[in-house]
Amino acid sequence: MKSPRIAQLWHWFERTRVGRSIFRVGLPQSNLERAQAMVSSFLLHIQPAKVNRHSLRASYSFGLGLISLYLFLILIVTGTLLMFYYVPSTERAYNVMKDLQFVVSAGLVLRNMHRWAAHLMVIFVLLHMCRVFYTGAYKRPREFNWVIGVCLLLLTLGLSFTGYLLPWDQLAFWAITVGTNIAAYAPYIGPNLKYLLLGGNAVGQEALIRFYALHVIVLPAFAGFMIAVHLWRVRKDGGLSRPNEPEDTVQHVELSQLPTQKTYGLMELARGTTPQVGRDPEEEVFSWPHLIFRELLLLLLVIAAVLFLAIFWNAPLEEKANPIHPPNPAKAPWYFLGLQELVSYSVFWGGVVVPGLLVTALILLPYLDRKRKGVGRWFARERVVANTIFTVCLVIAIVLTAIGTLFRGPNWSWQEPWKKPSAAIESQ
Amino acid sequence: MNHSASKDDVSRRDFFELALGWAAATFAVCASLVGSVRFLVPNVLFEPSLIFKAGKPADYPDSSVTFMEEERVFLIRQGNTFRCLSANCTHLGCTVNRADHGYHCPCHGSFFDDQGNVKSGPAPRPLEWFQVTLSKDSRLLVDKSQRVGSDKYLVL
Repeated sequence: MKSPRIAQLWHWFERTRVGRSIFRVGLPQSNLERAQAMVSSFLLHIQPAKVNRHSLRASYSFGLGLISLYLFLILIVTGTLLMFYYVPSTERAYNVMKDLQFVVSAGLVLRNMHRWAAHLMVIFVLLHMCRVFYTGAYKRPREFNWVIGVCLLLLTLGLSFTGYLLPWDQLAFWAITVGTNIAAYAPYIGPNLKYLLLGGNAVGQEALIRFYALHVIVLPAFAGFMIAVHLWRVRKDGGLSRPNEPEDTVQHVELSQLPTQKTYGLMELARGTTPQVGRDPEEEVFSWPHLIFRELLLLLLVIAAVLFLAIFWNAPLEEKANPIHPPNPAKAPWYFLGLQELVSYSVFWGGVVVPGLLVTALILLPYLDRKRKGVGRWFARERVVANTIFTVCLVIAIVLTAIGTLFRGPNWSWQEPWKKPSAAIESQ
Repeated sequence: MNHSASKDDVSRRDFFELALGWAAATFAVCASLVGSVRFLVPNVLFEPSLIFKAGKPADYPDSSVTFMEEERVFLIRQGNTFRCLSANCTHLGCTVNRADHGYHCPCHGSFFDDQGNVKSGPAPRPLEWFQVTLSKDSRLLVDKSQRVGSDKYLVL
């Protein structure tokens, strides 16, 4: 808690000329100032001045999207710090990892945080997608924001894939080999795509620097832009979805329908989907402090959780990349093991067709499933068909991932995890 | 412009300005895209040569399968015949290991017999055989850009 003296000092400062030039409103004392504080601040203005109290219910959205955003920010900060040491060279990259582990102050914990935050981001982006699906929150007018969300899921996976190549350990080398060879199975453009990704025919220095450029600038910049659009669209498409959302929030006001005796401000010409349309004022609470407080608390929790993981568990680092001997079994990180299990049957079907169809289905989903019933409730009875299909796909994905993670031993042969690996393991 | 006017009212000047503008914009976008993609396709590769010398024939004992690490191939001698088999799995490019009666891929479990044919697993094609010749200084010369059938031998 702030001591009164510091509080006094702060109140004096925010009323000075300099303080006013920076903060405009200062710590708000009235409802008017609470609204002004939200609107006048660059960092806060992406959020509404008032928010529906149902949107704040933690048990509805679980803050999954916000947690994903926080993890992305943690990844940006830790990643930027790691860049000060990392060298994208096949000769030096692995040694830099060792330096980070044993020599650089806080290097170990920063690398751990980066790795665990990346894993968590994959989990939370997926959970966020499940939440949006099971509450029907992708329906009109939020269809396109769902599509942007699917793009962000793919970007998250792309960032993970390009990221775990950079240490240039065994996992890195064989993941890039397998990954680019899957790309080569794509119809028509496959071999050229592989050549373009690797910058040649073999996995080596050119490939490393390409994936580095993708990982540190191309994909994060694109993801950052898409996140900005995603958040903007949440505001513009009716705010966070919430229980008991009245259907008239989505009415579309045509310009020609407006009475002409009156002049309109720009806000009135905006689509009729802002959170204020068709809403009882009693349902609304001020974002400052109700929303801001919860958001900051969640940020604290996320940082604490990542730090906890980073302090007690070290990020994996395999042996230095060895082009001659793949590790046996050669496994990708857990989130790609479902895919690896599929390609162990057929690359074209498992690595190209199934993922391609899955992504297409996800993108088309809000345009195919257009009924407005059951929005804003978990597992709504009206959506039983959609929910069942989604759950079946989800369970298949989880089962495949579990098989790839736990049940595959040397030479990708079936092996129960509770049994000790048999003597049949060939060491090479 | 007046929307109620018919299409005929587009003046020649407007038409050419529009056509020229759109053509220029389209060209600029396409040319930038093509240029950027072409930029990313390397013209020179700093990779090991696909043709390499594999030493003297006498270096390899009779009925032997020798794994050559740098080149990722197996050199196989049977009597006075020599062949060269790729160690690159045709599934997803892992390096296969020599097993008792064939070759095993550790990544997704493909198994190839001694002739490189797929016996089990997801590999879509047999392992590749490369041309082996004898150089002027009597060394084995392997050309990885020349694929041959499994029945093709260098006989000395």
